[in-house]
Amino acid sequence: MATSAQRGRCVTGIDGLDNILGGGIPTSNIVLVTGPSGTGKTTLAMEFLARGAVHGEIGIMVTTQEGQEKLLSNIPRLDFLKEAMFKKGTITILELAEVLRSAGVSPTQMDEAAVDKLVGALGKVVSTAKVTRLVIDTVDTILTDVKDETLDAILLTRLSEVLYKEGCTAMLVSSRGTSGVLAAVSDGIVLLGNLDRKGDLLRTMQVVKMKGTSHSRARYVIDLTSYGVLVTPLLKGGS
Amino acid sequence: MAEELHAQVAAKLEEIGPSVAVALELKVDSYFDVIRGLVDDFSARKGLCCFYITASVPSSTLSNALVALEVDTKDVRFVDCISHTLMGKIEPGERVAHVESPSMLEYVVLKIEYFARQNEGKKALVIIDSVNSFAIHNDIKMLSEFFTVLLNSLKVREAYPVVLSLPDSLKPEVKEMLALVCDYTLTI
Repeated sequence: MATSAQRGRCVTGIDGLDNILGGGIPTSNIVLVTGPSGTGKTTLAMEFLARGAVHGEIGIMVTTQEGQEKLLSNIPRLDFLKEAMFKKGTITILELAEVLRSAGVSPTQMDEAAVDKLVGALGKVVSTAKVTRLVIDTVDTILTDVKDETLDAILLTRLSEVLYKEGCTAMLVSSRGTSGVLAAVSDGIVLLGNLDRKGDLLRTMQVVKMKGTSHSRARYVIDLTSYGVLVTPLLKGGS
Repeated sequence: MAEELHAQVAAKLEEIGPSVAVALELKVDSYFDVIRGLVDDFSARKGLCCFYITASVPSSTLSNALVALEVDTKDVRFVDCISHTLMGKIEPGERVAHVESPSMLEYVVLKIEYFARQNEGKKALVIIDSVNSFAIHNDIKMLSEFFTVLLNSLKVREAYPVVLSLPDSLKPEVKEMLALVCDYTLTI
């Protein structure tokens, strides 16, 4: 198996995040982007796809919550996200329901065999379209009715095998936080949050783990702008 | 004398050059002359962008005052940290970035980053108005860290950072902090 140095890096294009990671996400890593609602998870994931698309990388967002139109209208305008990227297929937004249907899987009967079929269908899409950036927003919805957490592990492990083979780097959006099986099995965790500082609510970002690279674990303040996610260190005031 | 003051401010800044954090001590009655010197005589004539961080006066008031002084404000961008706290009407626009409170210092840094990207790295004069106002809303350790981060990032960009201060109403510890984080003190 190749080392991360041999595998190279997927430069996310999100300047602040790449700086924190020392140059990007090790290629083929599965990164959990997690945090409460309204912290910028979908925006970050969309920027990840758009920054790749600027350089001709093919990206897919599997969305489980909203259709394309609503999804795009709900995130801040990104100057570099162009209509042409969708028209040319550099970025494709797929609804999970479609992927499940194509895999012959019922979302209410998710078991190991169904997970295998789903991963197989995703792998086929990634392989056929030569996808190098994959986003699933949100991964929680896939396993929403499943009480057995081992299925989370199975999903991630199988997906990881498929993506590694294809050289595809993934962001899985979740609101489950940094505990649980998803967080334990993923290669990396980017934690987004809200920090209440004397009544001021700051949006924050912290890379909690990223296999295959040494990185800052400090908390940063972020702003969601038309130039993408901007990042600056959290001021501590000597505390 | 007042007529010459704005020109003196510009000449002095020209002499000091970029990448030098300047603490500009002024008196209240020379405020508008100094602003005119900075924005018009210095920034506009040098073809710089001007990023005006205000924690004292709402950007709309400042903008109107500059227009009244017949200063060209086309290249002026405001980071307005005060309008929200005054519960005034917030009018979104390309030239103003609002920060909810002067205590949300990280967002001041991020709004400057935003404008720097908008202006594609063009050199800028950055006015911080004023240390007195920021000191009302922040403790000294926080303020010190903020100025260190902001001023260093501006110096790397070869900007012209100018921190306005009214020394007569400045606490000694804020004055000390300013001397520490700035490279040059200019008294008007």
